[in-house]
Amino acid sequence: MANKIFDRDTLLDLTVNVVPLFIMAFFVVAFAVFSPFGIDPLASSIQFGLLAVPFVLLAILTYFAGKAVAGAELRGEVYLPGQAGVRGAEPLEETEHGEAELDAGTSTAAVEGEADERDAADESAASEEETTDEADAGDTNADDDAETEAADDATDDEAN
Amino acid sequence: MEVNGQLALTVLMGLFLVAVAAWLARVENWRSYTPVAGGGAFGQKESYGSEEKPSGVIRWLTTVDHKDIGILYGAYGLTAFAVGGLMVVVMRIELIDPGMSLISNTFYNSLMTSHGITMLFLFGTPIIAAFANYLVPLLIGADDMAFPRINAIAFWLLPPAALLIWAGFFPLPNVIPAQTAWTMYTPLSAGAGAGNQANAGVDLMLLGLHLSGVSATMGSINFIATIFTERGDDVSWANLDIFSWTILTQSGLILFAFPLLGSAMVMLLFDRNFGTTFFAGEGGAILWQHLFWFFGHPEVYILVLPPMGIVSYVIPRFSGRRLFGFKFVVYSTLAIGVLSFGVWAHHMFATGMDPRLRASFMAVSLAIAIPSAVKTFNWITTMWNGRVRLTTPMLFCVGFVSNFIIGGVTGVFLASIPIDLVLHDTYYVVGHFHYIVMGAIAFAGFAGLYYWFPLYTGRMYQKTLGKAHFWLSMIGTNVTFFAMILLGYGGMPRRYATFLPQFATLHQVATVGALLLLIGQIIFVWNFVQSWLEGPEVEDGDPWNLRDSGLYTAEWDWYDKKLETAIADGGETDDAAEPMLTDGGDVDDAADE
Repeated sequence: MANKIFDRDTLLDLTVNVVPLFIMAFFVVAFAVFSPFGIDPLASSIQFGLLAVPFVLLAILTYFAGKAVAGAELRGEVYLPGQAGVRGAEPLEETEHGEAELDAGTSTAAVEGEADERDAADESAASEEETTDEADAGDTNADDDAETEAADDATDDEAN
Repeated sequence: MEVNGQLALTVLMGLFLVAVAAWLARVENWRSYTPVAGGGAFGQKESYGSEEKPSGVIRWLTTVDHKDIGILYGAYGLTAFAVGGLMVVVMRIELIDPGMSLISNTFYNSLMTSHGITMLFLFGTPIIAAFANYLVPLLIGADDMAFPRINAIAFWLLPPAALLIWAGFFPLPNVIPAQTAWTMYTPLSAGAGAGNQANAGVDLMLLGLHLSGVSATMGSINFIATIFTERGDDVSWANLDIFSWTILTQSGLILFAFPLLGSAMVMLLFDRNFGTTFFAGEGGAILWQHLFWFFGHPEVYILVLPPMGIVSYVIPRFSGRRLFGFKFVVYSTLAIGVLSFGVWAHHMFATGMDPRLRASFMAVSLAIAIPSAVKTFNWITTMWNGRVRLTTPMLFCVGFVSNFIIGGVTGVFLASIPIDLVLHDTYYVVGHFHYIVMGAIAFAGFAGLYYWFPLYTGRMYQKTLGKAHFWLSMIGTNVTFFAMILLGYGGMPRRYATFLPQFATLHQVATVGALLLLIGQIIFVWNFVQSWLEGPEVEDGDPWNLRDSGLYTAEWDWYDKKLETAIADGGETDDAAEPMLTDGGDVDDAADE
């Protein structure tokens, strides 16, 4: 079960916390090898304790957080964060465990590759939004972005 | 006989208290809205506050609805922001001139102490609680907070806390404001020496601070319970939104940090009033610093994590794409939460502590920079090639990222012991942390206030005024606090009411920036109040066109539902189709209202 939860993608997600863990481990080794202020039983134990305790606590929390999140992905349907409570929300397609959230899109999800069709739709939609002052602020940007987004099509996942 | 009489009274009082406790436990359903809900609601159904809300002021005094309490927190936080802001305007005007001109040095110290405490405890924490109260239950699909009444108590502890903290400024005989700075270092704060800090004003400030800590702790327990137990069926850990993640982490930090501050302050109050010597003997001063900063550094993250959550939440909405590396942001939030308890003594590098300990604190301080930097790259990458719409909330988010980079990078330098020893206690430190607290935290607060403005007012703010507010704030922040960084490089010490003439120019530049900030905030207040009263009404639940890009979220869906099913007083019905009697008589279909 544990290996199933901590697959390649989950481990990749957790690398973000491995970096600070590595930094702390690096200093533990560095202080053990190189101690310009000498070794004192009390001060040195506190010195290493101050690195070891956060290291252990962060490792434990990372393990349980990864288990909770990746486990929830396996157990139930995954929606975009904040969308689970929306009426008629579609769960993300489960292409492969872990990739769903990063890469896959749904029929309504934000995938840059659809920019061309949406630009036209946006302009007509924006004209209907006169009552909301801010709503049309992005149209000028949208046109500029169309070119770069079209170029992105090739690299985007076409999950839908 | 006297003893027997006292004994009898004591027993009687004890029995009375037991009876009261038993009565309360029996008649009250502590998780309900109605005053006596034990048998009040029928069909074992919890009743909803909106149906029983009284009108007028009574509604606000008695409410246990998370949305109302959120608005109370918001009003409180913004009031405190105005008070703290006006205090610093007076200070900055005083600092135009190197000598003592407008106000006395002691009054400057009073304002400085109160500005810090007000902004951190009476503005920062409550404004975050405002967003969290209003939004978290909506985002996670909960009916309300897990403990609605504790929620109300937590808020109502705050007004007396403010009165106590500001007590010294009121015309009370023999009470003067505290001049201890927000760090309350002993022996000054213990009232020792020939100074005037043995005054009752300092005791009142400590008690007020304690009260605000109790409030924050109660709130945090409530949020943890709510996010763990009240999530909707479809809301799992895998799709919990980023704002709720940051609130969960922040609540964990509050739970471990604030009780420690409370304990330390009780010890200090005992030292001041009952002759104990916790902080008086050898090592007493350093003990206070350790206790204070073990709370104080997590406090920084208590204040910055939820604003990071707001920014992580809002940036994707106006970039037309999902948050890049969502899980990186979640895990790095948790990492910051843990590591924030392991860096406290980097505030104390100059105290002469053992160099081995200093080295470890430096190492963890460098490690904690990584998760913060990861988030920054995630925000930038989210915007990269996105369909960026530069609305006011988005501008504030971009401003947040920009200011956070300057505040963060200057902070990384301070984590390095040799640099810290040079820059410690200079304006460099003041500039650094103001880039975070004003440039980042307050900016994210404004982003949230503008982004959700239609949600809690039903109206739209004025776009031009919003943008003027942003640009004045952005320019004002950078002018003020970059000047402070330069002052620090020049060796200008912090906390002083007077200074050497060589620093005058940069101080004047900083004051100009502060006045720009003041103008910006006046525009904000005007826009906020006028738009709330007269702004154009929002007609559907998607004022930001989020549906088009698939980034529509639960709180807007709730609002949309509210508009569809609105009845007379803006409340909700469990079943909108159910026939109901209104003032106008019978209606067949309440949904048509």
